Parts: sequence; C-alpha cells; structure tokens
Amino acid sequence: MSTFEALRRQLGDAAAAFAGDSVSAILTGMVDDVDRALSEKLEIFPVCHHSPASALAMVRRLREKQPKVIYLELCEDLGPLLTELRNCRLPVALQAFATELDGFPPAWGPLSVVAPITEASAEYQAIAYALETPGVELVLVDRSSDHVFQSHGPEEAADSPEEPPREGAGLHGDAVGIEIGDLRPRFAELEEHLLHHGKVRHWSEWWDQYVEQPLAGADYDTYRQVMVLIGSLFRRLDPGDGDRLARDEDRERHMWTRMREHLAASGADPADCLYVCGAFHAASRVEQFGLDAAAPYEIAPPTGTRWLYGLIPSSHSAIETQFGLAPGSVSIAAATWSKAVGRNGLTPFQLAGQKGTRKRAAKLPPPAPPAPPSDRLSGYLSAPPPLDGLDEEELRGWCVDIVRLARRNGYLASTADAIAVFETSILLAAMRNRPRPTPYDFQDAAVTCIEKDVVPGRRDVRRLCEILLGGDRVGTVGYDALPPLARDVFDRLRPLGVDLEKRTIQRALLDLNADPDLAACSNLLWMLRYLLPADAVRPIMGERRLGERSIQESWDVAIGRHQRSIIELGYEGVTVEQVLEQRLRASVWDQKATAATALAAVEDAILYLGSRRFADELGARAVELLAAERTVDDAPEVLRRIRRLLAYFRANEPELPAWCESFVTAGYAHYCTLLPTAFVDDDTGVRQVGAMLGFLFTMESLAMALGCDRAQLEIAVQQSHPESPAKVALLWAARNQLGLLPLAELRARCDELLANPLVVPSFPLYVTGFVQAMELAPGLSGFVVEVVSKAFGRLPDRVLLPWLPKLVTTLRAQAGELMPVLVREAGRTYPGSLPALDAWTPPWERRAAAPRPKASASAAGPVTELLVAHPAACDAVAELLGCDGQWQAPQPSAHGAAEVLLAGHPETAAAVAVLLA
Amino acid sequence: MTDLLRAPAEVKYAEELDWLESIDDGAKPFSWRLSPKMVRLFVLGSEPSDGLDREIPQKWFGDRSFVERSIVTLASDRGLLLIGDPGTGKSWLAELLAAAICRNSTLVVQGTAGTTEDHIKYSWNVSMVIAKGQSRESLIPSPIMTAMEQGVVGRFEELTRSTSDVQDALISILSEKYVSIPELDDDNIVFAKPGFSIIATANSRDRGVNDLSSALKRRFNFVRIPVVTSKRSEAEIVRFRTEELLRRHRIELDVPPTLLDILLQSFADLRAAAASAASDDEKLESALSTAEQIGVLEDAILHSHFFGDRTLRAGTLAGSLVGSLARRSPEDLAILNKYWHGVVEPRSKKDGGDWQDFLEGGREAIATLS
Repeated sequence: MSTFEALRRQLGDAAAAFAGDSVSAILTGMVDDVDRALSEKLEIFPVCHHSPASALAMVRRLREKQPKVIYLELCEDLGPLLTELRNCRLPVALQAFATELDGFPPAWGPLSVVAPITEASAEYQAIAYALETPGVELVLVDRSSDHVFQSHGPEEAADSPEEPPREGAGLHGDAVGIEIGDLRPRFAELEEHLLHHGKVRHWSEWWDQYVEQPLAGADYDTYRQVMVLIGSLFRRLDPGDGDRLARDEDRERHMWTRMREHLAASGADPADCLYVCGAFHAASRVEQFGLDAAAPYEIAPPTGTRWLYGLIPSSHSAIETQFGLAPGSVSIAAATWSKAVGRNGLTPFQLAGQKGTRKRAAKLPPPAPPAPPSDRLSGYLSAPPPLDGLDEEELRGWCVDIVRLARRNGYLASTADAIAVFETSILLAAMRNRPRPTPYDFQDAAVTCIEKDVVPGRRDVRRLCEILLGGDRVGTVGYDALPPLARDVFDRLRPLGVDLEKRTIQRALLDLNADPDLAACSNLLWMLRYLLPADAVRPIMGERRLGERSIQESWDVAIGRHQRSIIELGYEGVTVEQVLEQRLRASVWDQKATAATALAAVEDAILYLGSRRFADELGARAVELLAAERTVDDAPEVLRRIRRLLAYFRANEPELPAWCESFVTAGYAHYCTLLPTAFVDDDTGVRQVGAMLGFLFTMESLAMALGCDRAQLEIAVQQSHPESPAKVALLWAARNQLGLLPLAELRARCDELLANPLVVPSFPLYVTGFVQAMELAPGLSGFVVEVVSKAFGRLPDRVLLPWLPKLVTTLRAQAGELMPVLVREAGRTYPGSLPALDAWTPPWERRAAAPRPKASASAAGPVTELLVAHPAACDAVAELLGCDGQWQAPQPSAHGAAEVLLAGHPETAAAVAVLLA
Repeated sequence: MTDLLRAPAEVKYAEELDWLESIDDGAKPFSWRLSPKMVRLFVLGSEPSDGLDREIPQKWFGDRSFVERSIVTLASDRGLLLIGDPGTGKSWLAELLAAAICRNSTLVVQGTAGTTEDHIKYSWNVSMVIAKGQSRESLIPSPIMTAMEQGVVGRFEELTRSTSDVQDALISILSEKYVSIPELDDDNIVFAKPGFSIIATANSRDRGVNDLSSALKRRFNFVRIPVVTSKRSEAEIVRFRTEELLRRHRIELDVPPTLLDILLQSFADLRAAAASAASDDEKLESALSTAEQIGVLEDAILHSHFFGDRTLRAGTLAGSLVGSLARRSPEDLAILNKYWHGVVEPRSKKDGGDWQDFLEGGREAIATLS
C-alpha cells in the first residue's frame, strides 16, 4: 500500500462530495505525482526560485545526505563559470552571449542568456557545497544556451513584463532570463483566485504566506512533498497553450537523458546523487522521467553559433523586473533568509573567498542514514498555515527606520507617525488573519500613515519600504572573474588612481603636460567613451577633435556601475583597440553604410586609434560607397566631414592620402552627374543640393589639380532646371559663381521678385535658397545679407512673420557652417552703434544713389612714378598684348596736405630718419 | 423599501447590518457596532469561503486594501481622508463605512467656500439666546460636535473646498478630541466619546484651491482612491448602481448586457481620445467618470420608461450619452460628431446589432443639438 493511500482516498471522497470526476482526477493525480517523485531512485529535490525555505531545506538536506553528485537544472554550458563565482559579490548572473550567429537568423543577434544567482537560493547552496566539498561532482543538466534559442526566438524567450523602469532594474539588458524553479500558476484566473482568497495583493505575498512561512522550519519530508504537490497543481491546471508546456517537457527529457548518460558513464550510485530542479519539473509526467525509464530522446546538436561566457553583475531589482516578481520581493526573501539562518542556527554553505559574506562554512557532520518517507501532506493540507507570532522588536525597528528614511526623503514624518505605523500594521495584520504583520502589511501601513497627497522627493513611501526591508542589492564581478579586455582596462587605468570597482561616480584629473604618461589613459578613456554607454565615462573638461590635443582633461568615471557593458565588450575582443577596430570596420561594411558613415569611421580611426593604415583602408571604402550611392541625402554630412579631413591632412601630413584624392575626384564626378536630377527631384532638399554645390565649388581647385574638368560642372549647371524657388535661387548663385550670371543681374532679378506682388509670398523661399548658397559661394555672403535685409524691409508682415521661425530654425540647424559667415558679413554691413544707424544708408542703395567716380587709371604714387620712369617694360608688354595706349602725365600727389605739413615741420621726419639710420 | 427618495446606507441596509451584528463575534474597537472584519465584509461583500448563511452583496468596488486601510485608520487615532478624482466612489465608501461602524452616516458637513467654523463646531439659536441667554439648550451643535458627543463617525465632504481657517478648526478636534465653548461658564467643554472619528473626502482635481496645512495633513491618513480602469469592475459598478436606481424609481426594466458593453466601450474610447488630446478644446469637458456613466444610463432608463416603450434601446442610450456629454457648443458636439463618425460608424458596420441603432440615435441627437 502506498504511503499516500489514505490521503488519496480522502481527497477522492472530498472531490466526489463537492465536485465532479475531473476534480477528482486532478486531486488524486497530484497525490500520484508526489508519490512518484518520492519513490524515484534518484532523490529529487524540488526548489522554487528565490525561496529562502528552499535554501534552508537545501542546507539541511545537504548536511544530512552529503551527496557525491549533484545534478542541477541549469544550462549545461554554463558549468565552467561557476568557480568564478568565488571572485564576485552576489547577486551576479551567469551569462552566455553570442554575436556571430550560425544557424539562427542574423536579425536575432546578439543573443544573450542570463541566469542570476542570489545568496538566498537553493541553487547557490548546492553550488557552494559541491565546489567546496572534495569529491563532489556538480553536473549541470538543463539544455544549453544554444538549445534555448533553438526552441524559441529571442522575442518569445524574453517574456518579461512591461513595467516602468526602476533604479538598478536594467542590469540584465535585454537578455533572456533563465531561472531555476520557476513556480507560478500558468493561467491568470488561477493566480487571481489564489490571491483573492488568500487576501493578498500579489503572488510573492501569497507564496510567502502559504508556502514560504509554513515550510521555513518544516522537516525535509514535508518540504519535499508540499513542493512537489504545488508543482503538480500548477502543472495539472496548466491552460494547455501547448508551446510552453512542450518546451518544459523537452527540457525534462533533456535533463533525464543527461543524468542517465552521466550515471552510466561515471558509474555513480544513484543513492549518492541529488537532482535539484524546479518543483514544476519534479512533478513531470514525461516518459523519460526516472532512471528506469527506457524511452529514447535524441538531443539536438548545437548550431554553429560561437557562444562566449562570462559573469555580469545583477541586482535584486533586475531579477524582479526580469521575472515579473513584485517589487522588493527578492530583497524581502534575502532578509528572510538571513533571519532564518540566524534563528535556526544553521551554517549555510559558502564559496571560499566569496566577497560580501561573513565566514566560511563549518565542517560537515557525518551523513544521516536515509529514512523512509511518511505522509506529511495530510497535515499540511488540513491545517491553516502556522505563522510566526508578533516580533514587536522587529516591527518597532521597522517603524522607527521608515520614519527616519521618509524624513530624509522629504516627508514631514515624525515619531507620531512611527507610532501610527506600528498600530496600523498590527490592525491590518489582524484584519488579514495574521498574528504577525508581514513586510507587506507593514508597507501598507506605512503608506497609509505617511504618504499624503504628493510625493516630495524621488521615492515614494512604498519604494522606501522596499529599501528598508532589504534594499536593492547590486552584485559585482571581481577582477579575477572579468574577461581579459575588462582586466586590461582596469590595469591600464590604474595610473588614474580611481577604484574602478566602486559603484560611485569618481572624478579623474589628467594633467597631460605635467605627466605625459597619462596620455595612454586619456586615449583609453576616449575609446571607452566611444564604446560604452554615455555615462560610463564622461569628459567634463577636454575634448578630442581632429588636429587638437587637450592639455588637461577631467573625467567622471563610473565603470563600476557599468560593469555589464564592459564585460559584454570583452566578448567582442581581447583589447579595446581590437573591439574598436572591429566595430569601425563593421560599420563601413554594413549593408546600410553610406559614404558619410565611412568618413565618420575614418575620423574616429584617426582620433582614437591613430592608425594611418587603417584610416586609409576605411577611406578607400568611403570612395567605393560614394561612387555607389544613388541619393544625395547625406551630402551635407559628407561635405562637412571631408572638409574637416582635408584640413587635417593638409595640416599634419606632407601630402594628401591617395583615398582623399580619389574621394574628391569621385565626388566631383558623382555630384556633377546627380546635380540636374537633384535640382528637380522633390525628395531632395535644398540643403542637400546646397551641399552638393558646396562640394563642387569648394573642392574645385583640388579636383582640377587632380585632373577633373570644369566643363562637366558647367554642363551640369546648364542642364539643371529647378522649379522650386529655393532651388532656383541656388541655381542662380551657382551660375553667378561660374561667371554666367553677373551680380548686378542677380540683384535685378531679386528686385523684380520683390516688386511683383504675385511672387512676394514665395520670396522667403528664394531667400532660403540664397542662405544655403553661402555654402558654395562664401563670397556671396554680402549679397545674402542684402537680400535678407531687403526681405525684412520690404516683405509684408503676413509673409515675413510666418517665415521668420523657419529662417531661425534653418540657421540654427546649420549654425556651425552658415552663421559665422553671415554674422561677419552683417557686422561689416551694418553700423556698430545706435547713433550711426540714423545716418546709415545700406551699401547697395548707396551704390545705386551715387555711383562712385571711376577710379583714375593714372593714380599717383610710387608705382606710377616707377612705371613712368621706366616705361620700356610696360610698352613691351602692351605691344605683346596688342594694346594701343598712351602714357598720361602723372597727377599731383593725392597727399598734398600731408606733404605741406611735412615740409612745414621737417624736424619729426628728420628725427625718424636719424633713428632708422 | 423605505419611503425616502434616497435612504442613507444604514437605513437601506438596516436588516443586513442587524444580521451581521448578530453573528459578529470579533473584537470591536471602542463603541463600534461591527468588528473591522465585518465592516470589510459589509462593504466588499461575502464569498462562499466566508461560510455565512446568507450572501452579503458587494457595495463598493475597488481594491480590497483600500477598504482595509480605511477601516484600520478609523480604528486608530487619526482621521481618514479619502482622496481621488470625481466619481471614484469616495463619498459612497465614506457613507458605507460610517453606516457599518456606527449606524449613522448622516452627520455630514459639506465643505464649500461658504463653510464657516460654526458649521464645524457649534452655533447659537439666536432667539433662544435672547430669551434665555447662552446655555447648552440654546447651542446648536454641528454634525461633527454631535459625532463627538455620541462617539460616532462624522463626515466632512469636499474638505479642500473650504477655506484654510475652517480647515484649521479641525486640527484641535482631531488632536485634543474636545471642543471648548468659551461663551459658557459651566459645562463648557464637549469631549469626544470613544469611537469618534472623521472621514473626510477631497477631490484631487481641486488640489491647490485650498491646500491642507501640514498640521492637518499629519492628523489624517490619506487613502487615494484611483479611477477604475478595469472594464470588468466598471461594469460591476454600473450594474450595481443602476439596479439600485431602478429600485428607487420602482421601474421594472431590463438593461441588456450588450447595451452595457456599448456604454462601457464608448466611455473607454472617449477616455482614450481625451488622454491623447493635445489641448482642452480637443477633449470633452466631462471627466468621463464611472458616476457619469451611471448618470447616462439612468437618464436613458428614465427616458425609455416614461417616454418610450419601457424597453431600453441603443438609440435612446446614444441620445442620453450625447445629451449628457455635450456641454459646450460647438467644442463638445464637434468631438462627439467626430467620435460618432470615426469610431461608432465603422464599429456598427463591423459588429452590427445594437451598434447600428446606437449610431442612428447618436446622429439624431447630435443633429438636434447642433
């Protein structure tokens, strides 16, 4: 007769009395599952994630049984990382990371799997025991990271709930989370039902009240039976959406197959082994379940994807966010664990050298003999959960602390509030049938008594309670467990004298003149600035631009906070330089790469790597990309970057690199070809056309020197027939620049436009075109100031006012290029003082009103005197050119007054002459 | 059934309260008529797992923890301030709590700009003062003072609508728990009996009109009642309140579930539109609260009953909805017109059924008002 026969009968009778056959099948099936799991030859230890009760039961069981082999439900490929846990402060996450995908769609990349490990977990106890006890083997048996993605894509795998981000919650990035012992109802109605009848708000609270607390001090049999029972309940009440259960069953088949393989290979005695898995899997009904099962299962081979492994820091809030747990629940579990360890006088297992832990585990007692299981479920199911009594001291401490914390966060809380919170906690707990207020009751009471209509600071009382009851704990990965790249960074930044493991922002000052050795650190910081998130390293003073060098730099360094980023960088290469080179190379060979991105990569290569060879390689790619481009969207960016690079090479190199020359010639031909289309294409903006013309005109001399023909540009301009006013203005400017349209005619055309009331509304568009034209013809800036002034002066308000914001935004967007020229020209044109404004006439009007007398060809002066004295050379040149000219008599000097003055007072001039002699 | 237009909760549920009191064996704070658990049961209704002989209907719909927090606050030394948007059921919860705790929910002070300290403390019967002089007989106690004398719960509606000096009069009442009457030589202090507490309500949209002083805030526990966003809870509330209204008006009329769905869906759509509106002109003036939905339904029911064929139809509901929500012309009408043609019309084509009738009724109502 089975151990659970009596219970089975009792449940069957109850189901028959209150419900139908289906319920009866579920209830007796659950008992069957428990029976089956307990009678399995290989001892199954069911766990739930982040459950102090599981961890406590694990400590007790490991001490009693002292198994020789532990099978753990964790990705089998993460095994080698476990020893590195010694160098870390928990919580940290084991990570498998892949960027080079083979066998998965490229769009999935990069793939990342994380398995967070906290101290208050059964798996950590098992790991610590296995690694610290000689002769104990730890075997990870769950599917590898590769298999995780074989069965479902990254989107499907990362089913973390959408919640507002909290502090420290983003430590796992967008990785897929793997946790041991996921135990939660799989359909919403069941969870809702349990919460409703349990009179609790969320799952963690229910679990704490109905499972965690009753099991914290329970014996091993009770613990095991109850956990399998709960696993079985959730399994049998699965909504049957297929996919998820099928995945779980695959995992179970995988795990059992692996365990059988290992037992066969090692010859270990199953009585000395322990299988640690989630309670859900303990109640598995797959045909491969059990060591005696003979059903075959073929494990799929891994894909060709190259997986890299490492440890990344984790935090309680990151775990809560990733696995949809209630905020603060992992912290509360950690606090419960510490308290339970102290109260039960247990010595938990710890890895030697583990940071952040107090002491090493004591020696193990001799193992206890195995005892036959007895029915503990009946007792558990028939009585309400035995809860702890009121711990007044603890509650009082919480009340005082929350008031102190609230005050520090801007609340007007006082001792009276502490008393009120204490009283309210007890009253609330009593209403909810609890002799002792749980942390959740306390949280509700604190919110009731302290929270008013507004939250004065950044954190509300609920968040403060979470901090108080354990706070978020953030782990760190120790130096020795870091990948080579991260260690290299730590080593190279050591001269800065900042502790890179600290999670605070630290200021580093680099006086590069006084200590030239720091230049290497500065260089590394700039590279990290490029590769890491924006606030990992942030320059406060100093900048890095082409051709410039900082004398002093000041940096805010927060690498400790961004350990994950730097560790993930370590998966890409061995040094920062290598990663940077790879990234730059990848950016120019990307399918979406453009000439502008390639030029940006060249610039970055020069700035950060200082490698001419590499810059040349990227530059050559830029030429290819430019020639292949069919749009001119990036023309402004291309122009800006190539100008900067040319200026840099001219100033620093004896000659231009070959790729620069090719780029200019290719660009000249390319933009000439595309110019007529760009002028008429509605999708091409005026700024783009302006930049194309800017390239063509400002690079013209270099292009000519390199063998280009100006006729190509002239033809392209002649072929252009734009219709939009702004582009028409640009074309006029281009024609003027080519000498095809004199300035006087251009001015006349503008005046005509302003005089025609039908065209006046579109005049601002012309002005916009002229403003852009400064890019190609800086000499036209005077005319642009004139046009803008005329527009301001003559356009009616209804046209002018709506256009002004557009003009301002255009100028603002291109402030770097257009504003200096425009402001300088405006400064030259307009009077500098207010009184002068009254008498001021615009230069263009002055010209029109009183044309300047033609300059005399026979001006007086030393040059004229020289030529008159020696006319032979001039006559010869004139004859050669075929000019018939007459020598005119020299005019008297224009400086008559000065000569009279000097003749009247020769002393000064004589003294100066003596001095100079 | 009473012959009052709207009976207070303690009268309306008198029989239920009596029964609960008879079976209540829990500890009762002060002079409470029910234990805290029973108060919760009265407000939130019973479940089979409570093992009661009869079913207690749910009367207030919302998170259980709000009710629990409110009850324990009343059992403590502090006043309870229910704060939330209009139409979230604050006053109803206050009334239910007062009725369950002390069987008297009518000791109410309504906070307005014209509320004076006399309304909170006491005033004098002038003719009696002239005739007999100032004495306890000629004193008219305020509802709050009466609550103090009787050791029951007093209510203060719309606390933030009254001016600061009036609010400050509450500070001493909540701290010292007595009111002194300096005009009298003897018997000039009214002490509060155990069980006295205050439930105040405040509208969170009125924040800034007359902000509470820090001293007063300290003496109140705030329980914020959020707007109901769950469609299921909202349906429950509307159904519950409508049934009550029908009973009150003695009307026999069925509210088809499909029409209730249409009403809830329309409000959900209009709320979504209001949330995404860029300016006040693009959203309806109405707060689109649950109370407003009940108002629309009540209007439609009354209209169907008295002017229709005693059957609630989608067209009538649409007419009531337009009539209730179109407060500004042309802004609100334009928004409703846009909603009707942009959302209701496609939906009526897709789903057909009552939506078709709803579309026609709405169009007609908009055309009439335009």
